[in-house]
Amino acid sequence: MEAAKMASPKSAPKDAQVMAQILKDMGITEYEPRVINQMLEFAYRYVTTILEDAKIYSSHAKKSSVDADDVRLAIQCRTDQSFTSPPPRDFLLDIARQKNQTPLPLIKPYSGPRLPPDRYCLTAPNYRLKSLQKKVSSTAGRITVPRLSVGAVSSRPSTPTLGTPSAQTVSVSAKVGAPVSLAGQRFTVQIPSSQPAGKSATPTTPTVQNVLINPSLIGPKNILITTNMVPPGTADPNPLKRKHEDDDDYDAL
Amino acid sequence: DRQTLVAVLQFLRRSNLRESEEILRREARLLGDDLGGNVATVATSSPGVAAVAAVPPGKGETRGVCGVGPSSRRGPREVGSPCAARSLGGSPLFWETKVGAVVVEDQPDVSAVLSAYNQQGDPTLYEEYYSGLKHFIECSLDCHRAELSQLFYPLFVHMYLELVYNQHESEAKSFFERFHGDQECYYQDDLRVLSSLTKKEHMKGNETMLDFRTSKFVLRISRDSYQLLKRHLQEKQNNQIWNIVQEHLYIDIFDGMPRSKQQIDAMVGSLAGEAKREANKAKVFFGLLKEPEFDVPLDDEDEEGENEEGKPKKKKPKKDNVGSKSKKQDPNAPPQNRIPLPELKDSDKLDKVMNMKEAARRVRLGPECLPSICFYTFLNAYQGLTAVDITDDSSMIVGGFADSTVRVWSVTPKKLRSVKTAADLSLIDKESDDVLERIMDEKTASELKILYGHSGPVYGTSFSPDRNYLLSCSEDGTVRLWSLQTFTCLVGYKGHNYPVWDTQFSPYGYYFVSGGHDRVARLWATDHYQPLRIFAGHLADVTCTRFHPNSNYIATGSADRTIRLWDVLNGNCVRIFTGHKGPIHSLAFSPNGRFLATGATDGRVLLWDIGHGLMVGELKGHTDTIYALRFSRDGEILASGSMDNTVRLWDAVKAFEDLETDDFTTATGHINLPENSQDLLLGTYMTKSTPVIHLHFTRRNLLLAAGAYSSQ
Repeated sequence: MEAAKMASPKSAPKDAQVMAQILKDMGITEYEPRVINQMLEFAYRYVTTILEDAKIYSSHAKKSSVDADDVRLAIQCRTDQSFTSPPPRDFLLDIARQKNQTPLPLIKPYSGPRLPPDRYCLTAPNYRLKSLQKKVSSTAGRITVPRLSVGAVSSRPSTPTLGTPSAQTVSVSAKVGAPVSLAGQRFTVQIPSSQPAGKSATPTTPTVQNVLINPSLIGPKNILITTNMVPPGTADPNPLKRKHEDDDDYDAL
Repeated sequence: DRQTLVAVLQFLRRSNLRESEEILRREARLLGDDLGGNVATVATSSPGVAAVAAVPPGKGETRGVCGVGPSSRRGPREVGSPCAARSLGGSPLFWETKVGAVVVEDQPDVSAVLSAYNQQGDPTLYEEYYSGLKHFIECSLDCHRAELSQLFYPLFVHMYLELVYNQHESEAKSFFERFHGDQECYYQDDLRVLSSLTKKEHMKGNETMLDFRTSKFVLRISRDSYQLLKRHLQEKQNNQIWNIVQEHLYIDIFDGMPRSKQQIDAMVGSLAGEAKREANKAKVFFGLLKEPEFDVPLDDEDEEGENEEGKPKKKKPKKDNVGSKSKKQDPNAPPQNRIPLPELKDSDKLDKVMNMKEAARRVRLGPECLPSICFYTFLNAYQGLTAVDITDDSSMIVGGFADSTVRVWSVTPKKLRSVKTAADLSLIDKESDDVLERIMDEKTASELKILYGHSGPVYGTSFSPDRNYLLSCSEDGTVRLWSLQTFTCLVGYKGHNYPVWDTQFSPYGYYFVSGGHDRVARLWATDHYQPLRIFAGHLADVTCTRFHPNSNYIATGSADRTIRLWDVLNGNCVRIFTGHKGPIHSLAFSPNGRFLATGATDGRVLLWDIGHGLMVGELKGHTDTIYALRFSRDGEILASGSMDNTVRLWDAVKAFEDLETDDFTTATGHINLPENSQDLLLGTYMTKSTPVIHLHFTRRNLLLAAGAYSSQ
């Protein structure tokens, strides 16, 4: 660490001198010059936060001015929030005693990489692929390919649905390419704009299957939503529910 | 204990818990007239009741007799509201305000038991008490003086904290001013921290101080010295010091010669005094586990393997006498199945074969044959290199940095390859012989792989023995497991919510240990998202964690200047080693499992005999913190690397021979350390302003060292 260069008294502001003195009192002799700036900034931010909190408390108590009790309360509340300290020793001894009572678990042989359940690993994909096929016009009666949007999927349980979309997107659309007569299969859902926003997986018509309505992505106009195009008669290639976003929006907007 | 019982009985009577009182009295077989007719009423707020009720035994190991802990812990947490439990002992003013209270002067004994820092008399007289004791000790006989001088520091701290706690700031300050210069030099850092604690609120957030208050400071004093002290203190009228001694100090008395100043100085220094003798009495299995027997393909140039304890010989036509030795169970070795260990896979067996072949070509080191040292300097790290590890076969080196990256380099010309993507993997021929080569991606092979994931400086790294995994622990409180086949992060183990200072894989893989700022070390297994064991007991951060070669014990070094040895099977602390005067930063087990070497910020390397629980050597020479310690592969040389930019080699064989381990030594813990650091020092090697933070002996006993170049 570079040796401290104490700013000459005539150029350093008083605050910086005070901070340098504090560091010296605490026994810190070597520090980079920027440490003083950092400490001053921290001190300023901390004191401002506390005083602002104290003002709020004192106005809540309908006092005319901020007094020491308000400041004390503000400090106490902030301490519990930002400056947490590790648990006390007897608590640790307690939980240690509990934890150490259970015997060590036996190790299963031949189990490949020994990792926790998938839910606790970081091995799940955190993305979904967006297929590139364009949607054909709806009057043709063709089913459109389900589109998936790229978006972060945060900590979903690793039910098989998760793994499948990316892998099976292509295959599903391939399957979909061989359609059964679709005259009755196209589902149109009209969404009046007065519907409350918020994701809901409830289909609005009983014949609509596997629709996810995501009004947050929906523009002001009524939207054509396509399903995952599984004809009710045939076996569902993906028997599990699949969510997908509205895809027309991407084309239209 | 009688005092405690009496106090509790009085308390129960005052709170009108007659039935409990009767039961307790019956069990303790105390008579009613023992209690006298004290009528003083003391407020019994609920915290107070809870505090007393929470005296059950088994609350912490160093609690000893006093139920002081719970109440003192709850005390500071009652912010703002005057906690009656605290003021149970309270100032005389408080007592007078109680209706019908009769302030009985001998009550302080009772309430002294109930609260940690009650008012023990006039604060202005504290200086007098202390100087009186000082005078007495200085006038005592020489042989007793060294031992009794041990009393100064804990007494000073506790008296000071009492004054601060009871909010006598000015008295506390003058007390500190007057006496802090008298304390030993190695306590100066603590005293500086103490000097900044001037108000009661300051004490609340400081966990280490709270632990210091509630745990008992252990002193080892010979019986004669103790009698002297006791007589003197009990003669005095107001034995405030005697009260403090009883409350906060644990005096471990031994019969025998008083210790000299030198002996005492070697062993003291930790935050809680020394270790009690019973703490180091448990049996420790320090032997090594037997290596499994398996067929070894012999080369033409294969020599005899090394004769390690319990290790079977290779399958040569003639059986060596070592083969018969392997049938006998080493009495000091743990049973093979004491803790579950993963079975050996084929790749592990191949690894062991390689190991044995390399061991055959190993250089025998000794005072005449010193190892060559190859130094890996990390350039342009700008003081950001915080952790280094090297694989056992010295093929990869990993660096943890302050910018939260983990970088893996290949030391050999062979580049680092990751497994191909799923798409490419489906294209390869799975039946070919070299499928293990084909799954590796040549296009992205490189010498350096950077792993991103942590959100804070990476303070510890560890390769798994099978080189498939890498662990890293960081200031963000997580330990991350990385795969070295895909170079991605697999798991984040969350448990410590505070910076994790060190982590290490077990020598057999599967388990790993981590230690951090929350003062505990945790034992994990890679397939459990929660720790399997929690090792709690240190008074300050756990800064260094190491597995014993037989994977049954874990050594943790801490900022409270002690090293503890924990049993993996049941989480018990089996050894406590005190003697360092600064936080411990490096630990190394000798390859035969019997000894432990430790290095700290005081620049000394201490050697410990694990079986007996004694300090057996002290290596002086370094002038700054020792961050790296490593024994050579056969334990003949101990290498130490330090912040003073040097690597020193010590003769381990000579340091461990001729140990005095007779009954007297083990019973009393007396040690007589020979001043032979200079004889044991085999060489000092200086770098050009690069502190040494990691040392590693290759399988052939070449010493590798690593550090980051710092340009001043």
